[in-house]
Amino acid sequence: MNNMEEKLWEYIDGRCTPDEQESIGALIAEDESIRLKYNQLLRFSQELSAMEIDEPPMAFTYNVMEAIRAEEAQKPLKASINKRIIMGIAAFFVLTIFALLVYAAAGIQWSSVNIISQIPSVSKLPEANNFITRPVIMGFMFFDVILGLFLADTYLRRKKSTKQL
Amino acid sequence: MQSKLSDIELIEQTLAGNQSAYTDLVKRHQRFVFTLAMRFAKGREDAEEIAQDCFIKAYRSLASFQGQSKFSTWLYSIVYTTAMTFLRKKRVATDSIDDENIHIQIENHSGYDVNNVENKSKSFYLNQAIEQLLPDDAAIITLFYKGEQSLEEIGQAMGMEANTVKVKLFRARQRLKEKLERNLKHEVKELI
Repeated sequence: MNNMEEKLWEYIDGRCTPDEQESIGALIAEDESIRLKYNQLLRFSQELSAMEIDEPPMAFTYNVMEAIRAEEAQKPLKASINKRIIMGIAAFFVLTIFALLVYAAAGIQWSSVNIISQIPSVSKLPEANNFITRPVIMGFMFFDVILGLFLADTYLRRKKSTKQL
Repeated sequence: MQSKLSDIELIEQTLAGNQSAYTDLVKRHQRFVFTLAMRFAKGREDAEEIAQDCFIKAYRSLASFQGQSKFSTWLYSIVYTTAMTFLRKKRVATDSIDDENIHIQIENHSGYDVNNVENKSKSFYLNQAIEQLLPDDAAIITLFYKGEQSLEEIGQAMGMEANTVKVKLFRARQRLKEKLERNLKHEVKELI
């Protein structure tokens, strides 16, 4: 009977081949028990097609569009940070390094043959102990921690937004 | 008043920056998306959250919609994955409908009298019985009968083979009949 029911459902859903449709149609016409079953399943199928679906709350569309608008509003700010500020900072560092290199190159006496032997006398390197003091180390560590937290936050935000997609 | 433009035209307009076109898309599909979400969440608040989340995700990924399938099929696949993630997070019990506790709930819920049955529509009892099915069964029946989706499209939305969907649909309809028989006892003969 299960097999017959399966065939009847296929007949009702319109998923039979023309041959199957003909043979099942003939069975329905000939066999009263099959006809009864068919009528029962057909009525059930019609009820399912006619059932009402749920209605979302009145403000549903508004809420969706508000959420989208809020998300869209955040995008230009993100873009300006990425393109202008980051590029500006990068340009500042590149220019600083370039200026330092130019300044250092200008101080070197290129005409001198034995330049290597002159380096110790020309460049008087400052004492490292004068600069690497405890507050400097603490400041450096603090900067590292802040930078680390900032990078971790950026990474987690990016991961979260990728997950949401 | 909803737009008479096709889904594809509304998507093109949305991608061109016209947000009101997406409002029309949401209005067009919200009832069914909400109903489908209800099949998983079993509560209006949660269903609203899922449905809202789906439309936001769809908006974000709209540019990746290739148009190879119907927009509705693509949207329902988002509903399905979002709802499944929601179920995993909420740890909603997806036990069999034969679970003893659910039996008790059903018995209490269906404590009807003849007048009550007469007053309520057939649709109400069908929806009530569908709610008692497993989420997958409920979703397949809803997609097939109300979502105008073929077995292949349902398979695409739910990540299954069309043949698996066919078997699942057959079993889901059988279980639904059993639920109705259990819920309505004698009245079921009028209904099915």
